Amino acid sequence: MSSNPTINLRDLVILIADSSSYVRMISHSMLRGFGANKVLEVGQTGALLQTLSAQKIDILLCDARLPPYGGLVLTRTIRRNADNVNRTMPILLMSSDTREVAIKSARDAGANMVIAKPMSPKSLYDRLAWIAFSSRNFVDTDSYFGPDRRFKIEGYPGGVGRRKGDKVEEVGQEVGPALAQDDIDSLFSATRTG
Amino acid sequence: MADSTKGDAAIFPIDTRFQQMARRPGGVPRERALDGAQRHIDELKPEFNNWLSRELKELAVSIQQVISNPSDATVLERAHQVCCQLRDVGGTMGYELVTFVADNLCDILDAIKAGATCDKNMIDCHMDALALARTDAYRNLRPEQVPEMTSGLRRMVELAIASSARESK
Repeated sequence: MSSNPTINLRDLVILIADSSSYVRMISHSMLRGFGANKVLEVGQTGALLQTLSAQKIDILLCDARLPPYGGLVLTRTIRRNADNVNRTMPILLMSSDTREVAIKSARDAGANMVIAKPMSPKSLYDRLAWIAFSSRNFVDTDSYFGPDRRFKIEGYPGGVGRRKGDKVEEVGQEVGPALAQDDIDSLFSATRTG
Repeated sequence: MADSTKGDAAIFPIDTRFQQMARRPGGVPRERALDGAQRHIDELKPEFNNWLSRELKELAVSIQQVISNPSDATVLERAHQVCCQLRDVGGTMGYELVTFVADNLCDILDAIKAGATCDKNMIDCHMDALALARTDAYRNLRPEQVPEMTSGLRRMVELAIASSARESK
Protein backbone atom coordinates (compact mmCIF):
# COMPACT_ATOMS: atom_id res chain seq x y z
CA MET A 1 0.00 0.00 0.00
CA SER A 2 1.38 3.41 -0.94
CA SER A 3 1.75 5.92 1.84
CA ASN A 4 -1.18 7.99 0.49
CA PRO A 5 -3.58 5.59 -1.18
CA THR A 6 -6.65 6.80 -3.05
CA ILE A 7 -10.01 5.30 -2.12
CA ASN A 8 -13.04 5.17 -4.36
CA LEU A 9 -16.23 5.68 -2.31
CA ARG A 10 -18.58 6.00 -5.27
CA ASP A 11 -21.70 3.81 -4.94
CA LEU A 12 -20.68 2.52 -1.51
CA VAL A 13 -23.52 2.73 1.02
CA ILE A 14 -22.15 4.54 4.05
CA LEU A 15 -24.20 4.83 7.24
CA ILE A 16 -23.49 7.60 9.77
CA ALA A 17 -24.95 7.05 13.24
CA ASP A 18 -24.69 9.99 15.66
CA SER A 19 -27.25 11.70 17.88
CA SER A 20 -25.98 15.15 16.87
CA SER A 21 -27.44 16.32 13.59
CA TYR A 22 -24.52 18.75 13.26
CA VAL A 23 -21.93 15.99 13.58
CA ARG A 24 -23.87 13.98 10.99
CA MET A 25 -23.90 16.99 8.68
CA ILE A 26 -20.15 17.53 9.05
CA SER A 27 -19.36 13.84 8.50
CA HIS A 28 -21.68 13.75 5.50
CA SER A 29 -19.97 16.85 4.06
CA MET A 30 -16.55 15.26 4.42
CA LEU A 31 -17.69 12.05 2.75
CA ARG A 32 -19.21 13.99 -0.15
CA GLY A 33 -15.90 15.74 -0.58
CA PHE A 34 -14.24 12.31 -0.73
CA GLY A 35 -16.58 11.30 -3.57
CA ALA A 36 -19.23 9.36 -1.66
CA ASN A 37 -22.70 9.59 -3.21
CA LYS A 38 -24.74 7.22 -1.03
CA VAL A 39 -24.65 8.38 2.56
CA LEU A 40 -27.40 7.54 5.04
CA GLU A 41 -27.87 9.03 8.51
CA VAL A 42 -29.53 7.85 11.70
CA GLY A 43 -29.70 9.47 15.13
CA GLN A 44 -30.21 6.57 17.53
CA THR A 45 -29.92 2.84 18.07
CA GLY A 46 -33.43 1.83 17.02
CA ALA A 47 -33.17 3.53 13.63
CA LEU A 48 -29.69 2.07 13.14
CA LEU A 49 -30.80 -1.51 13.77
CA GLN A 50 -33.83 -0.98 11.56
CA THR A 51 -31.62 0.23 8.72
CA LEU A 52 -29.23 -2.68 9.13
CA SER A 53 -32.06 -5.20 8.97
CA ALA A 54 -33.52 -3.56 5.86
CA GLN A 55 -30.48 -3.23 3.63
CA LYS A 56 -26.83 -4.01 3.07
CA ILE A 57 -24.52 -1.32 4.39
CA ASP A 58 -20.92 -1.15 3.23
CA ILE A 59 -19.44 0.70 6.19
CA LEU A 60 -20.79 2.10 9.46
CA LEU A 61 -19.50 5.27 11.13
CA CYS A 62 -20.99 5.10 14.61
CA ASP A 63 -20.68 7.38 17.61
CA ALA A 64 -19.43 5.51 20.68
CA ARG A 65 -22.15 7.25 22.73
CA LEU A 66 -25.07 6.66 20.34
CA PRO A 67 -28.18 6.68 22.52
CA PRO A 68 -29.53 4.80 24.24
CA TYR A 69 -27.16 1.80 24.29
CA GLY A 70 -23.87 3.18 22.97
CA GLY A 71 -21.67 2.20 20.07
CA LEU A 72 -19.86 -0.61 21.87
CA VAL A 73 -23.04 -2.52 22.72
CA LEU A 74 -24.23 -1.98 19.14
CA THR A 75 -20.97 -3.23 17.70
CA ARG A 76 -21.14 -6.37 19.81
CA THR A 77 -24.79 -6.88 18.83
CA ILE A 78 -23.99 -6.54 15.12
CA ARG A 79 -21.03 -8.89 15.34
CA ARG A 80 -22.91 -11.55 17.33
CA ASN A 81 -25.93 -11.68 15.01
CA ALA A 82 -25.13 -14.56 12.67
CA ASP A 83 -28.26 -13.92 10.59
CA ASN A 84 -27.45 -10.36 9.60
CA VAL A 85 -25.86 -9.69 6.19
CA ASN A 86 -24.02 -6.75 7.76
CA ARG A 87 -22.23 -8.88 10.33
CA THR A 88 -18.76 -8.39 8.80
CA MET A 89 -19.17 -4.83 7.59
CA PRO A 90 -16.39 -2.47 8.66
CA ILE A 91 -17.34 -0.50 11.78
CA LEU A 92 -15.56 2.76 12.49
CA LEU A 93 -16.38 4.08 15.96
CA MET A 94 -16.20 7.85 16.50
CA SER A 95 -15.28 8.72 20.06
CA SER A 96 -14.04 11.60 22.19
CA ASP A 97 -12.93 9.14 24.89
CA THR A 98 -9.49 8.07 23.70
CA ARG A 99 -8.10 6.55 26.89
CA GLU A 100 -6.35 3.26 26.22
CA VAL A 101 -8.96 1.33 28.21
CA ALA A 102 -11.74 2.81 26.07
CA ILE A 103 -9.95 2.07 22.81
CA LYS A 104 -9.28 -1.51 23.86
CA SER A 105 -12.96 -1.92 24.75
CA ALA A 106 -13.92 -0.74 21.27
CA ARG A 107 -11.45 -3.14 19.69
CA ASP A 108 -12.70 -6.01 21.87
CA ALA A 109 -16.29 -5.25 20.90
CA GLY A 110 -15.34 -5.90 17.26
CA ALA A 111 -14.76 -2.42 15.86
CA ASN A 112 -12.33 -2.15 12.96
CA MET A 113 -11.07 1.25 14.06
CA VAL A 114 -11.70 4.17 16.39
CA ILE A 115 -11.47 7.74 15.16
CA ALA A 116 -11.00 10.51 17.69
CA LYS A 117 -13.52 13.33 17.82
CA PRO A 118 -13.41 16.11 16.76
CA MET A 119 -12.55 14.66 13.36
CA SER A 120 -10.65 16.27 10.55
CA PRO A 121 -10.99 15.38 6.85
CA LYS A 122 -7.47 13.94 6.94
CA SER A 123 -8.10 11.73 9.97
CA LEU A 124 -11.34 10.36 8.47
CA TYR A 125 -9.90 9.79 5.01
CA ASP A 126 -6.79 8.02 6.31
CA ARG A 127 -8.84 5.71 8.59
CA LEU A 128 -11.13 4.80 5.67
CA ALA A 129 -8.08 4.11 3.51
CA TRP A 130 -6.55 1.99 6.24
CA ILE A 131 -9.70 -0.13 6.48
CA ALA A 132 -9.85 -0.43 2.67
CA PHE A 133 -6.26 -1.51 2.17
CA SER A 134 -5.51 -3.55 5.32
CA SER A 135 -6.26 -7.22 4.86
CA ARG A 136 -7.45 -8.60 8.11
CA ASN A 137 -8.81 -12.00 9.05
CA PHE A 138 -11.93 -12.36 11.09
CA VAL A 139 -11.99 -14.43 14.26
CA ASP A 140 -15.03 -16.41 15.43
CA THR A 141 -14.99 -17.80 18.96
CA ASP A 142 -17.56 -18.36 21.69
CA SER A 143 -16.81 -14.95 23.16
CA TYR A 144 -15.75 -12.84 20.19
CA PHE A 145 -16.58 -12.28 16.54
CA GLY A 146 -14.75 -9.60 14.63
CA PRO A 147 -11.44 -8.47 13.17
CA ASP A 148 -8.36 -10.33 14.36
CA ARG A 149 -7.14 -8.48 17.45
CA ARG A 150 -3.93 -10.37 18.02
CA PHE A 151 -0.74 -8.41 18.48
CA LYS A 152 2.95 -9.19 18.32
CA ILE A 153 4.02 -10.71 21.59
CA GLU A 154 7.52 -9.64 22.57
CA GLY A 155 7.98 -12.10 25.42
CA TYR A 156 9.88 -11.50 28.63
CA PRO A 157 13.13 -9.51 28.50
CA GLY A 158 16.15 -11.58 27.59
CA GLY A 159 13.96 -14.51 26.55
CA VAL A 160 13.64 -15.82 30.11
CA GLY A 161 10.33 -16.86 31.55
CA ARG A 162 8.52 -15.65 34.64
CA ARG A 163 10.52 -16.14 37.84
CA LYS A 164 9.08 -18.57 40.39
CA GLY A 165 9.41 -15.96 43.10
CA ASP A 166 7.37 -13.36 41.23
CA LYS A 167 4.17 -12.58 43.09
CA VAL A 168 0.96 -11.54 41.46
CA GLU A 169 0.47 -7.81 41.95
CA GLU A 170 -2.92 -6.26 42.41
CA VAL A 171 -3.01 -3.14 40.34
CA GLY A 172 -5.64 -0.48 40.19
CA GLN A 173 -8.03 -0.13 37.31
CA GLU A 174 -6.29 1.09 34.22
CA VAL A 175 -7.43 4.53 33.27
CA GLY A 176 -4.60 6.16 31.40
CA PRO A 177 -4.26 9.39 29.51
CA ALA A 178 -6.06 10.18 26.28
CA LEU A 179 -4.28 8.58 23.32
CA ALA A 180 -3.31 10.43 20.18
CA GLN A 181 -4.80 9.12 16.91
CA ASP A 182 -1.50 7.45 15.96
CA ASP A 183 -1.49 5.52 19.24
CA ILE A 184 -5.13 4.52 18.65
CA ASP A 185 -4.18 3.26 15.18
CA SER A 186 -1.34 1.15 16.58
CA LEU A 187 -3.74 -0.60 19.00
CA PHE A 188 -5.74 -1.75 15.98
CA SER A 189 -2.79 -2.82 13.83
CA ALA A 190 -2.45 -6.56 14.18
CA THR A 191 1.15 -7.57 13.64
CA ARG A 192 0.78 -11.30 14.02
CA THR A 193 -1.07 -13.45 11.53
CA GLY A 194 -1.58 -17.11 11.44
CA MET B 1 -18.65 -18.34 6.92
CA ALA B 2 -16.63 -20.56 9.22
CA ASP B 3 -18.41 -22.05 12.20
CA SER B 4 -16.82 -22.42 15.57
CA THR B 5 -17.63 -25.14 18.03
CA LYS B 6 -17.38 -24.61 21.74
CA GLY B 7 -13.76 -23.90 22.65
CA ASP B 8 -12.52 -23.63 19.02
CA ALA B 9 -11.53 -20.46 17.25
CA ALA B 10 -12.25 -20.14 13.54
CA ILE B 11 -10.11 -17.70 11.62
CA PHE B 12 -11.03 -16.80 8.07
CA PRO B 13 -10.18 -14.13 5.54
CA ILE B 14 -12.69 -11.39 4.78
CA ASP B 15 -12.80 -9.19 1.71
CA THR B 16 -15.78 -6.96 2.24
CA ARG B 17 -17.61 -5.06 -0.48
CA PHE B 18 -16.25 -1.88 1.08
CA GLN B 19 -12.68 -3.09 0.57
CA GLN B 20 -13.29 -4.36 -2.96
CA MET B 21 -15.02 -1.20 -4.13
CA ALA B 22 -12.81 1.28 -2.26
CA ARG B 23 -9.73 -0.19 -3.92
CA ARG B 24 -11.13 0.33 -7.44
CA PRO B 25 -9.27 2.83 -9.60
CA GLY B 26 -11.08 6.06 -10.37
CA GLY B 27 -11.42 7.46 -6.84
CA VAL B 28 -10.89 11.13 -6.05
CA PRO B 29 -7.13 11.57 -5.42
CA ARG B 30 -6.37 12.04 -1.74
CA GLU B 31 -5.29 15.68 -1.84
CA ARG B 32 -8.29 16.65 -3.96
CA ALA B 33 -10.56 14.64 -1.66
CA LEU B 34 -9.20 16.46 1.40
CA ASP B 35 -9.57 19.84 -0.31
CA GLY B 36 -13.10 18.91 -1.37
CA ALA B 37 -14.03 17.86 2.15
CA GLN B 38 -12.58 21.05 3.62
CA ARG B 39 -14.50 23.15 1.07
CA HIS B 40 -17.75 21.44 2.10
CA ILE B 41 -16.95 22.15 5.76
CA ASP B 42 -16.11 25.77 4.96
CA GLU B 43 -19.55 26.12 3.36
CA LEU B 44 -21.03 25.23 6.75
CA LYS B 45 -19.04 27.87 8.63
CA PRO B 46 -21.33 30.88 8.08
CA GLU B 47 -24.16 28.94 9.72
CA PHE B 48 -21.87 27.52 12.42
CA ASN B 49 -21.81 30.73 14.46
CA ASN B 50 -25.63 30.73 14.60
CA TRP B 51 -25.61 27.07 15.59
CA LEU B 52 -23.02 27.81 18.27
CA SER B 53 -25.16 30.66 19.66
CA ARG B 54 -28.19 28.36 19.91
CA GLU B 55 -26.21 25.58 21.56
CA LEU B 56 -24.61 27.94 24.09
CA LYS B 57 -28.06 29.33 25.00
CA GLU B 58 -29.35 25.81 25.47
CA LEU B 59 -26.29 24.89 27.52
CA ALA B 60 -26.78 27.96 29.72
CA VAL B 61 -30.37 26.87 30.46
CA SER B 62 -29.31 23.27 31.15
CA ILE B 63 -26.43 24.39 33.36
CA GLN B 64 -28.76 26.57 35.46
CA GLN B 65 -30.96 23.51 35.98
CA VAL B 66 -27.91 21.49 37.04
CA ILE B 67 -26.86 24.18 39.53
CA SER B 68 -30.40 24.30 40.96
CA ASN B 69 -30.66 20.55 41.20
CA PRO B 70 -27.33 18.73 40.77
CA SER B 71 -28.76 15.37 41.80
CA ASP B 72 -31.27 15.32 38.93
CA ALA B 73 -29.85 12.76 36.50
CA THR B 74 -32.02 13.94 33.60
CA VAL B 75 -30.84 17.56 33.68
CA LEU B 76 -27.23 16.43 34.17
CA GLU B 77 -27.50 14.16 31.16
CA ARG B 78 -29.02 16.89 28.98
CA ALA B 79 -26.29 19.37 29.93
CA HIS B 80 -23.68 16.70 29.26
CA GLN B 81 -25.19 15.95 25.85
CA VAL B 82 -25.10 19.59 24.74
CA CYS B 83 -21.55 19.92 26.04
CA CYS B 84 -20.51 16.80 24.11
CA GLN B 85 -21.89 18.28 20.90
CA LEU B 86 -19.84 21.44 21.37
CA ARG B 87 -16.77 19.36 22.09
CA ASP B 88 -17.30 17.09 19.08
CA VAL B 89 -17.90 19.87 16.59
CA GLY B 90 -15.76 22.81 17.72
CA GLY B 91 -12.37 21.51 16.62
CA THR B 92 -13.61 20.33 13.23
CA MET B 93 -14.97 23.81 12.49
CA GLY B 94 -11.73 25.50 13.55
CA TYR B 95 -12.82 26.47 17.07
CA GLU B 96 -10.30 24.41 19.03
CA LEU B 97 -10.72 26.43 22.20
CA VAL B 98 -14.45 25.68 22.18
CA THR B 99 -13.63 21.96 22.05
CA PHE B 100 -11.10 22.32 24.86
CA VAL B 101 -13.43 24.20 27.21
CA ALA B 102 -16.43 21.99 26.39
CA ASP B 103 -14.29 18.89 27.00
CA ASN B 104 -13.30 20.30 30.38
CA LEU B 105 -16.91 21.04 31.25
CA CYS B 106 -17.88 17.47 30.25
CA ASP B 107 -15.30 16.20 32.75
CA ILE B 108 -16.75 18.42 35.48
CA LEU B 109 -20.29 17.20 34.73
CA ASP B 110 -18.98 13.61 34.85
CA ALA B 111 -17.44 14.37 38.26
CA ILE B 112 -20.78 15.79 39.49
CA LYS B 113 -22.50 12.60 38.27
CA ALA B 114 -19.92 10.65 40.29
CA GLY B 115 -20.76 12.61 43.45
CA ALA B 116 -18.57 15.74 43.34
CA THR B 117 -19.96 18.94 44.78
CA CYS B 118 -21.54 21.14 42.13
CA ASP B 119 -19.37 24.24 42.31
CA LYS B 120 -21.22 27.16 40.72
CA ASN B 121 -18.07 29.29 40.42
CA MET B 122 -16.26 26.50 38.58
CA ILE B 123 -19.12 26.08 36.14
CA ASP B 124 -19.53 29.83 35.63
CA CYS B 125 -15.82 30.07 34.79
CA HIS B 126 -16.29 27.50 32.05
CA MET B 127 -19.38 29.18 30.66
CA ASP B 128 -17.47 32.47 30.53
CA ALA B 129 -14.57 30.71 28.84
CA LEU B 130 -16.94 29.29 26.22
CA ALA B 131 -18.33 32.76 25.55
CA LEU B 132 -14.76 34.05 25.19
CA ALA B 133 -13.69 31.16 22.95
CA ARG B 134 -16.16 32.11 20.24
CA THR B 135 -15.19 35.79 20.07
CA ASP B 136 -13.15 37.13 17.16
CA ALA B 137 -10.06 37.53 19.36
CA TYR B 138 -10.06 33.92 20.54
CA ARG B 139 -11.85 31.80 17.96
CA ASN B 140 -8.75 30.89 15.94
CA LEU B 141 -6.49 30.27 18.93
CA ARG B 142 -5.31 26.83 19.99
CA PRO B 143 -5.37 25.85 23.67
CA GLU B 144 -1.57 26.00 23.94
CA GLN B 145 -1.68 29.65 22.87
CA VAL B 146 -3.68 30.63 25.97
CA PRO B 147 -1.98 28.67 28.78
CA GLU B 148 -3.24 30.96 31.56
CA MET B 149 -6.84 30.15 30.67
CA THR B 150 -6.38 26.47 29.87
CA SER B 151 -4.17 25.56 32.81
CA GLY B 152 -6.63 27.26 35.16
CA LEU B 153 -9.54 25.34 33.69
CA ARG B 154 -7.64 22.03 33.84
CA ARG B 155 -6.83 22.67 37.49
CA MET B 156 -10.55 23.06 38.19
CA VAL B 157 -11.21 19.69 36.56
CA GLU B 158 -8.55 18.08 38.74
CA LEU B 159 -10.21 19.53 41.83
CA ALA B 160 -13.63 18.32 40.68
CA ILE B 161 -12.32 14.80 40.03
CA ALA B 162 -10.56 14.75 43.41
CA SER B 163 -13.82 15.81 45.04
CA SER B 164 -15.76 12.99 43.35
CA ALA B 165 -13.09 10.48 44.44
CA ARG B 166 -13.48 11.63 48.04
CA GLU B 167 -17.29 11.33 47.86
CA SER B 168 -17.12 7.82 46.46
CA LYS B 169 -14.99 6.50 49.34
